[in-house]
Amino acid sequence: MDGSLLFQSLVLGILLGGLYALLAAGLTLYFGIMRVVMIAHSAFLILAAYLAWWFHRETGIDPLLSLFVTVPLFFAVGVLMQRLLVARLRPVTLTMMSVLLTFAIALTIEGLLGFVFSGTQRRIQLGYSGESIEVFGAHVAVVKLITFGLAAASLAALYVIMKYTKFGQSLRATIQHKEAAQLVGIKTDRVAGYGFGLGLATAAIGGTALSLDATIYPSLHWHWIGPLMAIIVVGGLGSIPGAAIAAMVLGIGQSLLQIPMGTTWAQTIFYVALFATLMLRPQGFFGGRLAQRF
Amino acid sequence: MKTTSIMRIGALLGAASLALTACGGSDSGSGDDDGPITIGVSLPLTGDFAEPGKGVQRGYEAWAADVNDAGGLLGRKVELKILDDQSNADRVVADYESLIAQDEVDLVFGPFSTRLVVPSARVADEYGMLFVEPAGAAPEVFEQGFGNLFYAAPAVANDHYNYLAEWIEALPADQRPKTAAYAAMDDPFAMGTAYGLKEKMEAAGIETVVDEKYPPNTTDFSSIAAKIEASNADMIVGGTQYQDAVNLIVALQQLDYQPKLAAFSTAPTNPEFPEAIGDKTEGILSPTGYTEQADVPTNKEFVESYTERNGNPPGEDEANAYTTGQVVAAAVEAVGCAEQGECQQKLIDWLHENEVDTVVGPLSWDADGRPQGAHMIQQWVGGEIKIVLPEDVKEADIIYPKPAW
Repeated sequence: MDGSLLFQSLVLGILLGGLYALLAAGLTLYFGIMRVVMIAHSAFLILAAYLAWWFHRETGIDPLLSLFVTVPLFFAVGVLMQRLLVARLRPVTLTMMSVLLTFAIALTIEGLLGFVFSGTQRRIQLGYSGESIEVFGAHVAVVKLITFGLAAASLAALYVIMKYTKFGQSLRATIQHKEAAQLVGIKTDRVAGYGFGLGLATAAIGGTALSLDATIYPSLHWHWIGPLMAIIVVGGLGSIPGAAIAAMVLGIGQSLLQIPMGTTWAQTIFYVALFATLMLRPQGFFGGRLAQRF
Repeated sequence: MKTTSIMRIGALLGAASLALTACGGSDSGSGDDDGPITIGVSLPLTGDFAEPGKGVQRGYEAWAADVNDAGGLLGRKVELKILDDQSNADRVVADYESLIAQDEVDLVFGPFSTRLVVPSARVADEYGMLFVEPAGAAPEVFEQGFGNLFYAAPAVANDHYNYLAEWIEALPADQRPKTAAYAAMDDPFAMGTAYGLKEKMEAAGIETVVDEKYPPNTTDFSSIAAKIEASNADMIVGGTQYQDAVNLIVALQQLDYQPKLAAFSTAPTNPEFPEAIGDKTEGILSPTGYTEQADVPTNKEFVESYTERNGNPPGEDEANAYTTGQVVAAAVEAVGCAEQGECQQKLIDWLHENEVDTVVGPLSWDADGRPQGAHMIQQWVGGEIKIVLPEDVKEADIIYPKPAW
């Protein structure tokens, strides 16, 4: 096997893993806070990508600037969604019913995108779309580097929020033990709402990053949700570092496996990892003591 | 107890009245000859093939409008009954079953995409219906032994690149590409186009250095691009639909891979393509079965009436759908009937023996329904897509080697 191809694939895998990590972080957050399986996460991702594309088409300004609108917007939508819809599901059947609810939301978003922007496949054309930087013989595409940078910065911000802010502490307390958190005076309902908003805000960032280097169409989100679900189970449901590590490992794995196995089989790595995790370590490989309780 | 029995009676009454109206509806639909000719179609208006599916719908509707403006078929109006199969092969079967058996349509037109054409053609075959289709070009469509199927386009998928293959074979040995990379979607049509050319290139001694097949849901093409770049093949051939071609081309540009020749099916002729690729389209080749400029009988009228109705000229999907209508109409006019039963076999026999003039040129078929032509080759030249092959209809000279992208 060619050494430079191997190195190139490794670089591509790391860049891909970064994007997966950001997207999976949001998904695992919902589950951690509320035991909600958020099927619509990737639909919001595509929605954000469409908003970035639309913003770029209408104004001609770099799509990254749409983040200043979409991030607060998605945060607000997340809070509202949690307070008005998810919180009204009965706690006993919450996890199961949330699949149904968020599935409906995903379909609604897909339908509206198709209705408003038509099913035509869109791509943002930027001056630097095809540009790349050479690093030790490997080409690193500028757009992929930006995507990776965004993902890394957002994950770092998420980490700081979770670790060092009062809100983050309340959020983690809610994740770890809701009743105990309530006993020490945390308004878990409100915290859960903000946590949901935070998760959706990561979808806004991820979607904008995605729009830089992908052709988008309304039904694209179905291609994303499967791998992301697999990632958060492997990483341990509810664990953000676990999701990030699993995303990186599986992203690099997928990229490297494509060399000997081809695209079709390399895709199965997510599901092979999912089965292996459920058989050997159902609580997930990284962190994730939480999932043991299910 | 009392309320439930009342409700039961109510339900019975409701069901009875529904059944009555249903009967009344089907009576007026099929019985008399003066009513409209109904044509049943199932199309992927939602789901994976929604975009081309809607194109086909526009083509069918344009054809029906043109026919009705000109007084109809056999003096009767035509009426399309279009169902949405959601790009789902099970739905498409159920749709054609109900169109033929329940709605008793007089004629059927085919759906979009090989994956939906094969199951629906089988249904039509069981009922002995003529099945002209606008979009099933892959080899297996014609290997099922359907006697009733006709593909309403110039060439089957494997023959799309025939003119390009001949041109490459005719190049002097020192200019010819020596190695080739192929990337094809795991889809009968897309693979057909790429592997049709691959066979001919291998026979001509051009070595295959990369042969990648990817599933239709692939969206990240950087790894495939890395393999192609590492092989440094002289030519790249993509058996592609749309988003895969665009993503692959951008990924190849990001890796600074510069082939002498780059050919992709479908995508480069799409109006969105230059918006996605920008100013880096120069030299990209693509086979096409239709251009609005084509100087063949009826095309000019079609382009004019279509543009007037829709505000933009028709694309290949619209043209192939329109062609389907023209083919069926030619048979109906010649045979003089349009209904289920014996008439259908007469229509089928007539099409096997005759040539039909259509907006994509004159068409004739072999016993399995393969059209007997080849596709033109188009290339992006100076920011526009132009016909470069074959020589007698070309709008520009072919650019070779391809400039850097």
